[in-house]
Amino acid sequence: MSRAESTTASVYHRSVVWLLFLILLLPLLGTLVYSIASSWSATVLPSGFTLKWYSQLWGDPRFLTAFGHSLLVCVAALVLSVVLILPLLFVVHYHFPRLDALMNILILLPFAVPPVVSSVGLLQLYGSGPLRMVGTPWILIGCYFTVALPFMYRAITNNLQAINLRDLMDAAQLLGASTWQAAFLVVLPNLRKGLMVALLLSFSFLFGEFVFANILVGTQYETLQVFLNNMRNSSGHFTSALVISYFLFVLVLTWVATFLNKDKSQ
Amino acid sequence: MTRGKWLALLCLVPFAVFFIVFQIAPLVWVLIHSVQSEESGWGLDNFTRIFSSKFYLQAIQHSLEISFWSSLFGIVIALLGSYSLRRVDSRLRNFVNAFANMTSNFSGVPLAFAFIILLGFNGSITIMLKQAGIIQDFNLYSKTGLIILYTYFQIPLGVLLLYPAFDALREDWRESAALLGANSWQFWRHIGLPVLTPALLGTFVILLANALGAYATVYALTTGNFNVLPIRIAAMVSGDISLDPNMASALAVILVGLMTLVTLVHQWLLKRSYHVAR
Amino acid sequence: MSFVSVERLQKTYSGTPVFSDIHFTITQGEFVTLLGPSGCGKSTLLRCIAGLTPVDGGKILLDGQDIVPLSPQKRDIGMVFQSYALFPNMTVEQNVAFGLRMQKVNANDSHKRTTEALQLVELNDFAKRYPHQLSGGQCQRVALARSLVTRPRLLLLDEPLSALDARIRKHLREQIRAIQRELNLTTIFVTHDQEEALTMSDRIFLMNQGRIVQSGDAQTLYAAPADAFAAGFIGNYNLLDAETASRLLQRPVSSRVAIRPETLSLSLQGEPDTVIRNHSLLGNVIRYRVEVRGVELIVDVLNRSPGDLYPDGQRVALSIDNSTLCEVA
Repeated sequence: MSRAESTTASVYHRSVVWLLFLILLLPLLGTLVYSIASSWSATVLPSGFTLKWYSQLWGDPRFLTAFGHSLLVCVAALVLSVVLILPLLFVVHYHFPRLDALMNILILLPFAVPPVVSSVGLLQLYGSGPLRMVGTPWILIGCYFTVALPFMYRAITNNLQAINLRDLMDAAQLLGASTWQAAFLVVLPNLRKGLMVALLLSFSFLFGEFVFANILVGTQYETLQVFLNNMRNSSGHFTSALVISYFLFVLVLTWVATFLNKDKSQ
Repeated sequence: MTRGKWLALLCLVPFAVFFIVFQIAPLVWVLIHSVQSEESGWGLDNFTRIFSSKFYLQAIQHSLEISFWSSLFGIVIALLGSYSLRRVDSRLRNFVNAFANMTSNFSGVPLAFAFIILLGFNGSITIMLKQAGIIQDFNLYSKTGLIILYTYFQIPLGVLLLYPAFDALREDWRESAALLGANSWQFWRHIGLPVLTPALLGTFVILLANALGAYATVYALTTGNFNVLPIRIAAMVSGDISLDPNMASALAVILVGLMTLVTLVHQWLLKRSYHVAR
Repeated sequence: MSFVSVERLQKTYSGTPVFSDIHFTITQGEFVTLLGPSGCGKSTLLRCIAGLTPVDGGKILLDGQDIVPLSPQKRDIGMVFQSYALFPNMTVEQNVAFGLRMQKVNANDSHKRTTEALQLVELNDFAKRYPHQLSGGQCQRVALARSLVTRPRLLLLDEPLSALDARIRKHLREQIRAIQRELNLTTIFVTHDQEEALTMSDRIFLMNQGRIVQSGDAQTLYAAPADAFAAGFIGNYNLLDAETASRLLQRPVSSRVAIRPETLSLSLQGEPDTVIRNHSLLGNVIRYRVEVRGVELIVDVLNRSPGDLYPDGQRVALSIDNSTLCEVA
C-alpha cells in the first residue's frame, strides 16, 4: 500500500481507539468529578471542589459495615471455591478426563441461568424450613460460589493443561512421591499463576454483584452494592464518592495482586 | 474401579453438594413450579395468563427490544473498536485493553448512577446537548435511555470476545485481495466479514443473553419500575405486593427459554455457513 | 527492451536499511529468480514491487510506467504467496474468479476464463471444493490459477513451494515453468533453494544483505561465482584461501580459489599422494573427503560402477583441471 494510504489508515485507527477510550471513560469521569464537586446541578460543570464527601463516607459506620460485609462474603466465597474446586479439577483431570466435557457444560449453567431466575427457586427453597438461609450471609456465600465457578474452573483448567498434569504427576511419582505429595508439592505451586488470576477476576466480579445480594438478603446483611442502592435518595455526591471508593479499592487490589504474582515468579 | 478412584470420586462429593444446593435445586424448583398454580394445580395456566396479558407481553417485548438493539449497537461499536485496537501500536493497545477490562467492573448499580449524573434530567451531557440545540429533552428512564445504557456495558464484553476473533483473519488474504483489485470495502464485504461471521454471531448471542438477564442496572436506574422480564420476575418474589412464585417461575422459564431459543438459532445459522478449517 | 526496470530502490526499516541501491532490468517473458539466504531482502524486494510494502526511494518501471505511486490494486501484478492465501469462505471457482469479479468482467466471460485457468493447472474437477478440502499442492495450483486469470503484466512468486513436500515441489516446478513459457509471462520468483533457482530460471539474481551480489544465467552463477559468498551459497565449492591454494596447486596464487567438487577426479593410476578420509553415498554421486598435501577437499564422483567406490584410507591420485578453477574475491 502507498505511504499516503498507510498514514490515513493509522490516523483512523488511532482516532477510533481514542474514541472508544473516551466512551468508556465518560461515566467514570463523570462520577469522579461529581464525587469531588461541592455542588453541581443543572449546569455543565460543577461549581466548586471538595473532599468532604469522602470524609463523610469513610466516617459513616453503615458504609464501613457494608464494606466489611462485602469483603467477608466475597473472601469466604472464594475460600469455599478454592476448597471445592481445586480437588474437583485435580480429580477430573487426573482420574476422569472424560468428565471434563460434562463439567464444561455444567459451568455454563451460572451463565445461562440469570441470577434473577435462580433467586426465585432459592427464595422458596431456603426461605423457611430446615435449610433456612435467606437473609443470612450463608446463602450469599453459596451463591457466590456458583458465580465464581465458571471463572475459576476455566482459568485453572487452562493452567493445568499448560503444565501437562499427567506428566508432572508421573514424574513425581516415579521419583517416589505419593499422590498427595505430588499434588501438593509439585502441581499446586505450578497452579499459582492461574489461581491468582482466577481469584482476582472472581473477586472483582463478586464484589460488584447486586442481584443475589438484594433479592436474597437485602438489608438484613447489607453488602456494599445494596448499600449503594439504598443510598440513592441521599446526595448524589455521596453515592459518587462511594462508587469511586469502591472502584479504587478493586483497582488497588488488582495492582497489588498482579505485582505480588509477578514478583514471586522472578 | 480401584480404591484410589473411589477416594477420588469421594472428593467430588462436597463440590456436587454445593453445586446442587445452590445451582441445580433452584433451577429444578423453578421448572417444576412454572407449571403449577394455586388455583388449578398442574398445567400451563401460568403461561396462558402471561400470554394473554398485555402487561406481561409488554415486559417480554421490552426485554427483547432493549436486548436486541443494545446488542446490535454494542457489537458494531465493539467490532470497529477491536479492529482498530489491533492495528494501533502496542502501548496504546495495552493501555486501552487494560482500561476496558477495568471498566467492565463498572456495571450494575454504579453504572446506573453514573448515567444519571451524565444523562439524567439535569445531567451534564443532557444540558450540553440542550444548549447546543441538538435535543429538546432526553428521558434516560425510557426505553431509549435503557438501550443506550445497556449498549454501554455491552461494549467491553463485545471487545473482549471479538478481539481474538481477528486472529482468524490472515494478513495475506488482504494482500492477495488487494493485488486482485479489491479495495478495503470489497475485501471486508467478500472475505473479511464472511470469515468473521461465526465469531460475530456467537458474540451477538452472548450479548443478547447478557442483556436479557440483566437486572441490577435497570433496577437501579428505574427503582424497579420499568417493565422488563427480570424486573417482573423479581417483583413477584420479593416485592411488596402480590407474591406469586409460580407465576414468577413461569416468567423465569420464558426468560431462559428466550435465551435458549437465541442460542439454538445461532447453532443452526452456524451449521448453514461454510466450515472454516484452521 | 526492458520490461521491468528497478532503479536506485531503497528501503529502510526502523532506521536499518534493508536495501539501499537496487538496480536491475528484466526483459519481457523472462523468468528471473531472486536467490539468497533468509534475511537478504529478497522477499521485501518482491513485496515492494507488488506494492505491499512502501519503498523509501527509487523507481520501479513496469512497461515504461513508474508504479511506485500506484496502489497494489492498480499495478496489474499477480502474486502467489508461500501460504497460498486462498479465501476460505469461497470455493476454488469463486477464488479463481475473484480478480475478474473486481474487474467487473461479465458472468459469461468470467466463467469461461475461470474454466480455462483451472484447466491450465489441471484442477477442473475441484471447482466446487473449498480450500480446506484441498492438499497443499492443490491449494498452490489454485493460487496460481487465481493470479493468472486476470492476465497480469507481471507475475510474482514468493517462495511458493517452500511449504510443500519434495515430490510435489518438483512436479509443480515444472508445471509453473511450462505455464510461464506458454503464456510468455514475465515472472519474478523468490527462493532460498538453489536447486529451484538453477532449474527454473532464465536468469538468477543472487542477493546477500540487501545487495545483488551477482546476476547471470544458471551456468554462469554456478561455474563462475563472483565472490566467496556466492561460492559458499551455490554448489558445494571447496573454498581455499590463497596460501592453501598455493600449497595445493604448487604454484603461487594471489587470491582465494573456488574449486567445484565434480571437477576433481580420483584414480588409482598416478602419484598416490591423496588419502580418502571418509565418504558419503548421495545416491548418484559419491562424496569423498580427501586430504592432499595437507589440504582437505571435497570430491564428487559419479556413482557409475562398484569400481568408483574407494574404501576409507585408500591412497589415490588426484587430478585438478585448471580451466575449471575460479579465482574469487
